[in-house]
Amino acid sequence: MKIRVAGTTKSFGQTEVIRHIDFTVMSGEICCLLGPSGSGKTTLIRLMIGAIAPSTGTIHIGDTLMPNMTLLNEIGFMPQNNALYEDLTAEDNLLFFGSVYKLEKSVLKQRIEEVLKIVDLTAHRQKRVHVFSGGMKKRLSLAIAILHQPKVLFLDEPTVGIDPVLRREIWHQFHRIKQAGTTIVVSTHVMDEVIECDRAALIYEGTLIEYDTVDNLLAKTQTGRVEELFILASDQLKEGTTHEPLS
Amino acid sequence: MNHLAKRVIRQTLNDKRSVMMILIAPLLLLTLIYLLLGDTDYVPVIVIEEATPQNLVTALNKQDIELIQEKQTITSPKTYLTDNEHVDAVFLYSDNGFDMTLREPSTKSSTAAKEIQAALSSINPASKMETSYVHGSTDQSTFDSLGYVFLSLFSFFMVFVISAMAFVKERSEGTLERLLMTPIKRSEVILGYTMGYSVFAIAQAILIVLYTVYILQMSSNGNIFLVLLVLLLLATTAVLFGATISVFASSALQVVQLIPFTIIPQVFFSGLISLDLIPYHLGNLSYIMPIFYGASAIKEIMVYGNGFDAIWGYLSGLLLYILVLYTINVRALKKFRNA
Repeated sequence: MKIRVAGTTKSFGQTEVIRHIDFTVMSGEICCLLGPSGSGKTTLIRLMIGAIAPSTGTIHIGDTLMPNMTLLNEIGFMPQNNALYEDLTAEDNLLFFGSVYKLEKSVLKQRIEEVLKIVDLTAHRQKRVHVFSGGMKKRLSLAIAILHQPKVLFLDEPTVGIDPVLRREIWHQFHRIKQAGTTIVVSTHVMDEVIECDRAALIYEGTLIEYDTVDNLLAKTQTGRVEELFILASDQLKEGTTHEPLS
Repeated sequence: MNHLAKRVIRQTLNDKRSVMMILIAPLLLLTLIYLLLGDTDYVPVIVIEEATPQNLVTALNKQDIELIQEKQTITSPKTYLTDNEHVDAVFLYSDNGFDMTLREPSTKSSTAAKEIQAALSSINPASKMETSYVHGSTDQSTFDSLGYVFLSLFSFFMVFVISAMAFVKERSEGTLERLLMTPIKRSEVILGYTMGYSVFAIAQAILIVLYTVYILQMSSNGNIFLVLLVLLLLATTAVLFGATISVFASSALQVVQLIPFTIIPQVFFSGLISLDLIPYHLGNLSYIMPIFYGASAIKEIMVYGNGFDAIWGYLSGLLLYILVLYTINVRALKKFRNA
């Protein structure tokens, strides 16, 4: 499903957190929201999911104007913190979230088997989450996010605090989910991860400074490193040419 | 909605401390209160002079006291009491009348005074006074007359703490946010939670009522099922109250820090202190305290032996509280999702 963000601004009180952002996430792609922490990535994700309504502008997922309760059935969300019930077993966590999506019992059972296999937690299904390692919790969190086979998946800093080996494994899983036709929006402040994505939106202080395919973005830099684009943007902001996209 | 309730139940059952706190802690505390406020077999020590008339000595000896006849004359009873710490009262006879000196206004002193008065009235039947109460009897312990307050107090407090902590955890660990990124309704979340904890509230209510009435033998004149109904409503209020307080706390520690504002004032206005005795009409503050409604209703049933028509006002108070807190909680979830 395509996600269209058009002229979207979001203010909390006097502070403008998102400043007039325009871009479209293509269906079936992995789109990366790249930016330093505090730049507005999480707010943008919450806007796209429809948890909060934009102050101005519109957001469409497919043809549906967000926020929309029914469309939440098509959306998967993996929050920044693991957001798991630590007192419950891995399977009970999955059972609970599955029942919230009103999945049919037999379907749910089958899906739980599938997602546990995807995130490689089948052996640990009966363990309570509080004995899980950080990596296992992340994987379970991902399993919950994809349990109801969402058409759009939002991942908020999914690899923060994860060791390189597990990070590669998790990205491998994202690619598999993408191959199944799911549109993925992933936020990160790790610049290296951008090469895993199809397109990247560079966000700086609530403004979209660049949005292009990753190949094009890298071609724009001299060193082939994405950091350069942020340094350019911050220089431009200091010179007073604010909120104008680069190039 | 019932999935949520089921999850809350499973989660609470998995956490042994929560179960203990809801089911065992009130029983433990009620037992302690029973022992602290229950019948006492304390024998007061009373000192008289040798010169005391014989008929008075005989009368005093018939009472349940330890009587000491001092050989010397006691010039200053106050000094005597200070010097002899085991003595509760000095009772002197002179031609001008009696002189009773007690150590301090305490239960021990009043027991001594009661025994002396009983002795006096046995010599002089004309001054004999028969005391009787509309509700209860003279041989009732403090536990019988005040125990009902603790019933509602402990029930409310335990459920409040468990619920507030659970909600704080949901907020800080992000599960509440994640839950609201699913198509669940905000009202379903609050309702599910309330239902889940209600199951424990019912279990708790049954347990503590049966325990106080049948094991601790607290006198109850009314219908036990009405008491259960009151406790259930009170516990439901406690669940929602805890959820509301969790909005103002970002950690379990802060829930504890808020107890002086949330629970302790309610203890004062629960009926432990007779509300008519509170100055400046501050007794009216009780109308904003949920425990007051619960305790008052239970008092009507257990102490006065009244039925539903005497408590419906208190029950409506609790229902109103539940409604208001429910609305506040559903609105508070807007932080995570507007719709």
